Amino acid sequence: MDLQRVNVKFFAAEGCAVPLDAFVGVFNSWIQGSDGEYYDLADYGHVPAGPGVVLVADEANVSMDNNGDRLGLLYSRKRPLDGTNREKLAASVATALGYCRRLEEEPALEGGVRFRGDEALIIVNDRLGAPNNDETFSILKPEIEALAKRLYGGAPFVLERELDQRKRFAVRVKAAAHFSIKALMESLRKNVN
Amino acid sequence: MSTDWKTKLGDRIADDLGREIDIFETQIELRKQGKIDERVFAETRLRRGIYGQRYDNGQRHDGQKIQRLKIASTGLTKGPDTVWDAPGMMRIKVPFGGLNAEQMETLADLSEEYSDGISHVTTRQDIQYHFVHIENTPALMRRLAAVGITTREACGNVVRNVTACPLAGICRDETFDVTPYAKAASKFLLGHPDTQDFGRKFKVAFSGCAQHPCGLTSMHDMGVIAQTRSENGGERRGFELYVGGGLGAVPYKAQLFDEFLPEEELLPTAQAIARVFARLGEKRNRARARIKFLIANLGIEKFRQLVDEERRKLSTDPRWTAYLPDTRGPGETPLKAGTSLNGAERPEGFDAWHATNVYQQRQAGYVAATITLPLGDITADQLRALADIARRFVNETVRTTVDQNILLRWVSETDLPELYRALKNIGLADPNAGTIVDVTSCPGTDTCKLGIASSRGLAKELRQRLSEKSFELDEAVKDLRIKVSGCFNSCGQHHIADIGFYGISRNIGGYTVPHFQVMLGGKFRDNAGAYGLAIGAVPSKRIPDVVNRVTDRYVAERQKGESFQDFIGRIGKKETKAMLEDLMKVPPHEEAPSYYSDWGDPREFTLTGMGVGECAGEVVSAAQFTLAASEREIFEAQIRFDSGDLKQAAAMAYGAMLRAAEALVRTQNYDAPSDDEGVVQEFRRLFCDTQVFYDKYAGSTFADYFFKARDAMQHPGAIEKGVALQRLQEAQLFIDAAHSCYNKLAAGATVVPAPAASEARSA
Repeated sequence: MDLQRVNVKFFAAEGCAVPLDAFVGVFNSWIQGSDGEYYDLADYGHVPAGPGVVLVADEANVSMDNNGDRLGLLYSRKRPLDGTNREKLAASVATALGYCRRLEEEPALEGGVRFRGDEALIIVNDRLGAPNNDETFSILKPEIEALAKRLYGGAPFVLERELDQRKRFAVRVKAAAHFSIKALMESLRKNVN
Repeated sequence: MSTDWKTKLGDRIADDLGREIDIFETQIELRKQGKIDERVFAETRLRRGIYGQRYDNGQRHDGQKIQRLKIASTGLTKGPDTVWDAPGMMRIKVPFGGLNAEQMETLADLSEEYSDGISHVTTRQDIQYHFVHIENTPALMRRLAAVGITTREACGNVVRNVTACPLAGICRDETFDVTPYAKAASKFLLGHPDTQDFGRKFKVAFSGCAQHPCGLTSMHDMGVIAQTRSENGGERRGFELYVGGGLGAVPYKAQLFDEFLPEEELLPTAQAIARVFARLGEKRNRARARIKFLIANLGIEKFRQLVDEERRKLSTDPRWTAYLPDTRGPGETPLKAGTSLNGAERPEGFDAWHATNVYQQRQAGYVAATITLPLGDITADQLRALADIARRFVNETVRTTVDQNILLRWVSETDLPELYRALKNIGLADPNAGTIVDVTSCPGTDTCKLGIASSRGLAKELRQRLSEKSFELDEAVKDLRIKVSGCFNSCGQHHIADIGFYGISRNIGGYTVPHFQVMLGGKFRDNAGAYGLAIGAVPSKRIPDVVNRVTDRYVAERQKGESFQDFIGRIGKKETKAMLEDLMKVPPHEEAPSYYSDWGDPREFTLTGMGVGECAGEVVSAAQFTLAASEREIFEAQIRFDSGDLKQAAAMAYGAMLRAAEALVRTQNYDAPSDDEGVVQEFRRLFCDTQVFYDKYAGSTFADYFFKARDAMQHPGAIEKGVALQRLQEAQLFIDAAHSCYNKLAAGATVVPAPAASEARSA
């Protein structure tokens, strides 16, 4: 299986009081500083439990996503990645973490957003290449477990698979301990397979 | 595991739809190889529903400067000034708004995989996705085709989605159910040869009655209203037929074409109208190419006469009447028995929702429930859950509406509280359908290249403010409609709203300031019965104040039973303008910088994001399309040759030459025979005997290739590789010569001698 179009979501910590509208301004400032990397913004703040505010780019979209009625940073890779499936997963997670950290440090948000490191949602946005079934899970489970070990070190974790077969293949990784985004970035950098 | 959707879906795709998508995929490949002109490709993709989107020229103003966007491809375009890899919009036709559960699930999946997770319901009952990459469109189309949906002719200069009243079949006031007629018209006109050579788009709408707004027939190129007559002691079905309506910069109300068009005459008359429009409609001046201008120029009497003449010339087509037995069938069937709501427990919020979102069907015990979609948007999860609801509560009887909502039909009244709970669980139980809160809007500057101001931003703001005070709104105000367009083209249908707005700009102290033109007194009822009056330009940020002031004045001063239209008419334009005069002023930038950016967009406002719209399509003649098809066929013949299928390759090469010859023939004789021998004879008579198809140096060589290939086809048998290769090469030369000949004809550098041409036209 050639794993592509990986989406990764890290959820906002409880008590995040920043309204979605604020991310329109933040993402716009990112566009202004990006030299053409991002080409538009889509604001779906009016849709309940929807895609939130989406920063659209050629390579990947980045959004403050509210799907499932849980706010979080969603990184949606569009362009193909090179490497093994394990490397592609790790690269997507690393980029998502980088965006989380950027938002945590965003001056305009005044520290109002923090992300939980103990839970990550990995979605493969490709029903043809990675249908949501047992076969895909058996292929990707070892890759996701290896990634979780890199992220969480010795801390126990569980994988929860999306069971509605109409939905995209998705696995929720939950660790038993608390981790900051910064700590996960560090772990990913240090614990190279 | 399948490697592509074509293989995976296999025989789930109807042959004709599958073939069309294969052809489009080849056209994409040919464009990438530079073998299709960008204008021809632009109109080709438009006719497959693939539309341009804002910033697809590769540039975006970020509020401070223009940025050149980092888009993967360089050089390749998918239309004039339209970068190949720039995201675009995909429009999906939903004839009469009818959807089933499987289709909704598919739409949900596709929005996630190819768009941004949102399906957007348009003001013409279509579904749109944004940010779609063109390379994904064949897969997207195949997955839609597998559930019986086509995107064909969703855009471009063709017959667009055929719309109909979403209450058709269940309405308490309709004359009869127009659904089967709308369905038949949609199928008949789709891809019909007589609808392929228009100068602009052509929109058709059906309504079951004259007095309600649902069909909006008055603002359509062709509007059809159900009528019956008593004849010989029985009831005869027919239609009141209107033509030449349209909104846009110059709105026209449709004119009565026929008081009673018998049902069996519906499709042939539509065909005759299409032929007159194709033949006489403006092709060069895009601003005056809609059929409304043709009818205005000719006068309705002359237009009617021309259509009647055209109608008499048509050979009978069995499809004109083949569907009629279906019109007398039961139509939709309910899932459950119709029982009343009597005494059922009502959850919190139910009564408010019931008051605005539930329509009592004429069938006892059944209701239709409107699902209010904010700005027409629905998420993938919601759409999948709605598919489950459509299976659980009704027999998958779902329609999109021109108010950008979704209607569930045939709900047993007893089920309403449970349906409400189910909708509430997925965030779709908002009340206020069809009220002032339910603001309609086109995409505007969010994604449209023509957008001037942020119609969605304004609609969102108005919706939020009005929603917060909906309980305290006066009853007279509640029923008013607000519609917003991002520009004068009126995709948000601002002309027919009680309170309408369309985006404009004004230069204030060297800054460009977003404004909306205020339109008051349009009439949504009576099938879009009257258009509103332009009052004046108000800066975007003061528009909520306009709504407050106008509605407050209406509540305070209206006379008993006076409609909003009558009220605006009574106080007059001068007084209405005076009422808003102070709101039209813009404070200096240093005092109020917020006036200088638009709703929902923190950038300082500019018009640099605007581009050339694709609403008008590209003017590409039917001959150019046919020549492009011959290019594709010779390309496919080459692939056959490479695979070793020499006989088929040679036959396809001849087919491609035949197609190119037909393209030329139809420029002189639109009604020339379409069989192979007829095309050959007409080509010989019009182009060879006259030496129009004649090269200065090669003489008749290229035409000879064609006739030689035709002779060879008379003697089928094994074919040597060298002979097949020669056929391919000669076919390519013939097609190149056909292009050259067409270009000379189009430029007026060559003409077919009068006797040959006129003989042909009278044939």
